[in-house]
Amino acid sequence: MRTPILSACALAATLVASLPAAAQQQQTPPLPTGEGRDVVAQACTLCHALNTVLQLRQGADGWRSIVDYMVLHGAQLTRPQADQAVEYLATNFGPGVNVPQPRTQVTLPDGTGKDLVAVNCVICHGLDRIAAARRTPSDWQSVLARMQFLGAPVSNNDKNTIAAYLDANFGAK
Amino acid sequence: MKDLIKQYLDQGISRRSLISGLSAAGVSAVAAKAMAQSLAPFASPAKAAEAQGAMRPVTGRGGDLYVQQLKSAGVEYVFFNPSTGDAPIFDAMVDEPSIHLIKGVQEGAVTAMADGYARLSGKPGVVIVANVGLPNAMTQMVNTFKDRIPMLVTVAAFGQEQLGEEGPQDYDFQEYSLSPITKWRWTALTAAGIPETTRRALKFATTPPCGPVFIAIPDNELRTEATAMIMDQSLFTVSMKIRPDQDDIKKAARMLIEARNPLLTVGDEITLCNGEKEVMELAELLGLPVAGQAEFGTWSKPFPTRSSLYLGPMLRNMQYPGSIDVHLNIGSRYAEVATKGAKLISMRQDPTSLARVTPVDLAMVADVKLGTADLVAAIKSMAPVDRLRRIAADRKERTAAYTRQVGALRQGIAKSLHNGSPIHLERLAFELESELEKDTIFVTDCDSGKSMDPLMSFGGDDKTYISTGPNILGWGVAAGFGAKLARPDQPVVTILGDGSMMFGGPQPLWSMSRYQAPVTVIVFNNKSYNNERNRIWTFSGGEQFKLGRDMTCYNGNPDVDFAKAAVAFGVEGETVSDPDKIKGALARAKRANIDGRPYLLDVDIQRDGIGAGSTYYPEYSIADQRTRKV
Ligand code: HEC
Ligand code: HEC
Ligand SMILES: Cc1ncc(C[n+]2csc(CCOP(=O)(O)OP(=O)(O)O)c2C)c(N)n1
Ligand SMILES: [Mg+2]
Repeated sequence: MRTPILSACALAATLVASLPAAAQQQQTPPLPTGEGRDVVAQACTLCHALNTVLQLRQGADGWRSIVDYMVLHGAQLTRPQADQAVEYLATNFGPGVNVPQPRTQVTLPDGTGKDLVAVNCVICHGLDRIAAARRTPSDWQSVLARMQFLGAPVSNNDKNTIAAYLDANFGAK
Repeated sequence: MKDLIKQYLDQGISRRSLISGLSAAGVSAVAAKAMAQSLAPFASPAKAAEAQGAMRPVTGRGGDLYVQQLKSAGVEYVFFNPSTGDAPIFDAMVDEPSIHLIKGVQEGAVTAMADGYARLSGKPGVVIVANVGLPNAMTQMVNTFKDRIPMLVTVAAFGQEQLGEEGPQDYDFQEYSLSPITKWRWTALTAAGIPETTRRALKFATTPPCGPVFIAIPDNELRTEATAMIMDQSLFTVSMKIRPDQDDIKKAARMLIEARNPLLTVGDEITLCNGEKEVMELAELLGLPVAGQAEFGTWSKPFPTRSSLYLGPMLRNMQYPGSIDVHLNIGSRYAEVATKGAKLISMRQDPTSLARVTPVDLAMVADVKLGTADLVAAIKSMAPVDRLRRIAADRKERTAAYTRQVGALRQGIAKSLHNGSPIHLERLAFELESELEKDTIFVTDCDSGKSMDPLMSFGGDDKTYISTGPNILGWGVAAGFGAKLARPDQPVVTILGDGSMMFGGPQPLWSMSRYQAPVTVIVFNNKSYNNERNRIWTFSGGEQFKLGRDMTCYNGNPDVDFAKAAVAFGVEGETVSDPDKIKGALARAKRANIDGRPYLLDVDIQRDGIGAGSTYYPEYSIADQRTRKV
């Protein structure tokens, strides 16, 4: 029997209790072939399913931070295996790869920075994430810093232009 | 007649007085003699005990009787927050120097202080709170209950003459609300019955598997004068130091000797039974790789995490040691899982939880310290020393090679996150590991903070680790206080998240300040319910994840200044944002502790995981709703 959430692992007790039944019954979808697949399939499915995880698109730094964090949580990987997992995830779930469909199409208003957003902010997720909430200038700054870290190919200069654009069009009052 | 018999048993009136009394009550002489005969064995130990001072009749108000019974149980500390009704209890302590009153300023804090004390002293935590404040205590009692920690919680209940009248603070059947989280609950119906009820409650609390018990004493009974026998609690102490069935031990020993690829999992019952040494000896004897419980569900580290045999948390399919054929579980509720192709032997202190969920091939109930010692002896008697050495040597080497590389990988990860402001948890872990004394008691009430654990070492002759299994937050600062009370000669560091701090952290600072508890409190402040967000987003994959809108977990705005909050409670504190300044801050905290003062560090920590960059929260302003500026 395959359960997505490990009952041996004590944290599962909390997870099971706090998760809706539907989430507990999730199964990890088939993983694309490629070097490192078996490592991910073996080491990453012992505590939780990968459904949501595989909706993420990010570059190697982003994936490395996740894999490293999981190692501290108890995922059993050797250094070469961890590297393989990062490589596999960044290749198969990296920017531009089969980007999950946005839930709603968002038309960007005109303005300086629109093109930068239209090009750089759609390679990992839809623009619906951007339009989902009005954010304060400092919130946009911290989101953009994070996107850079996750692999958004924007320079710091571009970042400021994008921030101004987002603030003008998706800023909190 | 009942009274007469009770007097005979309790107070030891003479056999002759009993018989003449019974005759006067209409019992035939023959029957009275026969009754006296049959009661004799019960009466005589009581008499003997009385002669030794183990029993003494006391006359006083219900409050006095309660306190005298606590005293006869060796209770040194009463953790409390008062109400009007329980005044007779505190009246009784005015001249009772053997019991110290420790005040907490909220019932959750009171309970968690008692819980921390109980975990480290092995004695029951004794709590008195207002009946109206009981629900505050209950949140923390869940931790106590789930982790099998002995505790007595008492309230002064409404006077019987008022019950059911729907008084302003009265709610009916209060004791039943405690049913799911206590081993036993009772109302002491008469003043004379208070000592007996208290004894019984303490007996239930302290007989393993331990847990919290609750007694309600109607306030009129606390005020009523009565005579009752106060008896030493030791006369009601039941030893549960039971050894497992020796045939089962032989079977287990045989299975372990013959195992091709065994695994040992360890849990909190080892800590409760003080069986760490025996379990270590067993692991060493056969070179067993050892897995612990994962981050939730466990509250102690019963196996030295620095040992080369220690793998980390138990997983369903462990890459190392690979497919196992014998799984020995000692004392863990959550690592007791059947694995395909492996025989499961489980030795547990708690029979209700043994084989409760998973099929177990060989289930043994025992004090796990004694049971493990038996297992070691049986293995030694069944195989010659050099055979055992051969079995162990190769496994030990392989396991050590594995744990060495895992350790190096983890340290490498920590190094890569060394710099960075806000500070990474991994850096904080590094500094704590290098600065804390080995005899430190490390109290942790953490969520994402638990990812520091594998970067530090606990157990054996290294730091003592205590936490809560259920992770019901608001426990840490109070438990740190209780830990220091139980072990004043060891450094105590308590660490918790900003979320946890706000659940119950500030109030115990008051107690730390008043009672001069030299504890270092570390708040790792990521201005977020960081891990809660990680779980909500990752595991549910719902709308918040899909749209990247964190509806619930961001705690910034206001950005709480915990160092300043500490000062308001009389505790010095400072904020640490620069990773290179952690060391200095820890040194100042240590200095303050040496001087007898508590100290708080508010450490500015990075959020991590999914959505870490977001500072969004759904806004609402009440001020903006006004039509009048009032
Ligand atoms: C030992 C159990 C365990 C294993 C094995 C594990 N995870 Fe996780 N994972 C967790 C927990 C627990 C969380 C919940 C978030 C938290 O606690 O921060 C989580 C969260 C996540 C998240 C959300 C981001 C975050 O940091 O919270 C991602 C993505 C993820 N895991 C991916 C992986 C990948 C990829 C692997 C394999 C390398 C893996 N997990 C293996 C326990 C595990
Ligand atoms: C390399 C992949 C990648 C690119 C490019 C990217 N994002 Fe993201 N974005 C993510 C991921 C992954 C998340 C999920 C949350 C997380 O892990 O921080 C996310 C989440 C978000 C969120 C939700 C809030 C949050 O912090 O979680 C916003 C808003 C957002 N991105 C905006 C942007 C904008 C604006 C751009 C263009 C500058 C952009 N993203 C480009 C990967 C990317
Ligand atoms: C009393 C209580 N209420 C609610 C929860 C649910 N919960 C689990 S973790 C958490 C947030 C913890 O935040 P923090 O202490 O800051 O830890 P972080 O994940 O940020 O390290 C909450 C609210 C709980 N465990 N206990
Ligand atoms: Mg936090």
